[in-house]
Amino acid sequence: MADKPQPVRVVYCPVCSMPPEYCEFGPDFEKCKPWLIQNFPDLYPDLLKETNERDADKVADKLQVTGISSGSSDGAATSAPKQEEVKRLPGGKIKKKEKQEVVIEKVIRNKRKCITTVKGLELFGVKLSDASKKLGKKFATGASVVKGPTEKDQIDVQGDISYDIVEFITDTWPDVPESAIYFIEDGKKVPAA
Amino acid sequence: MFKKFSFEDVSAQNQVKASVQRKIRQSIAEEYPGLEPVLDDILPKKSPLIVAKCQNHLNLVLVNNVPLFFSVRDGPYMPTLRLLHQYPNIMKKLQVDRGAIRFVLSGANIMCPGLTSPGGALDEEVEAESPVAVMAEGKQHALAIGFTKMSAKDIKAINKGIGVDNLHYLNDGLWKMERLD
Repeated sequence: MADKPQPVRVVYCPVCSMPPEYCEFGPDFEKCKPWLIQNFPDLYPDLLKETNERDADKVADKLQVTGISSGSSDGAATSAPKQEEVKRLPGGKIKKKEKQEVVIEKVIRNKRKCITTVKGLELFGVKLSDASKKLGKKFATGASVVKGPTEKDQIDVQGDISYDIVEFITDTWPDVPESAIYFIEDGKKVPAA
Repeated sequence: MFKKFSFEDVSAQNQVKASVQRKIRQSIAEEYPGLEPVLDDILPKKSPLIVAKCQNHLNLVLVNNVPLFFSVRDGPYMPTLRLLHQYPNIMKKLQVDRGAIRFVLSGANIMCPGLTSPGGALDEEVEAESPVAVMAEGKQHALAIGFTKMSAKDIKAINKGIGVDNLHYLNDGLWKMERLD
């Protein structure tokens, strides 16, 4: 080999992360289908046919639905059931996605000293190690990521910062809405907003 | 082996010293002669080489936080599938028939009949106890990386039981771990 072999650039399916030819064996072939049809129609010639049929079905469905809902009030349409996102586990089991909320709790350590624990930040895609650093910097205290009960990570911040922290969280991570932040007071969950 | 594998299974990450780095390079170069011209691209001399130790005597070789090779105990270094897809010709290949794909992708070891049937293919030179790429009938890319239990000749002759141990396959824990920080 005189030349350097160039790395092959392999396209991976964005849905199941496997090469498109293996999508059919993946965990969720149905979800991969739209992407496959767009990008690799020649790999699965059967798919196109199938979807054409299905589209026809869908149109028919829609017609029916509009026919029904035009009679009923608007309220029914807005309160359509929110589909809960499901996450597939390797075993093919389906796990319900946890409710996204941040829970803040003040724990008294000894008489005058306390620790504020923040749970659930990771559900918003926040890196806990980064978050603890930021919190520590902002409040000039120790902040660390701690393995909490039931295998969940939480951030412990020294001192009582439960009031300032809400604003800080919503400012630094705009993804976290204020309505999703809760305090625990006397064992009861109280919304922060 | 990687069926369940996540960040929590990594017990320690260390930047290894130069002599260990050299040893790793050397053993990779010996194992995969086809990789030699590009070895400097894959494992740049300048950037630090990190070895992550995991449970079950597993070592991962990382460059820039991307897992590139893994090894078990003191076994040979094997490329991850993502790396293998980039350089497909560095490993000896075995091919399984279409019926076996489903099982291999859920982590099953590769049985001899799947390799000897019309859809399968064997490289005669494959020895026992060596790393191989597992390809599939009608597919372009490798779907797993295995470690042979018997030589290709034996697989043909015996045609029964486990031929190749499935170490790493598409969509397992290591595959999903694109980066490790």
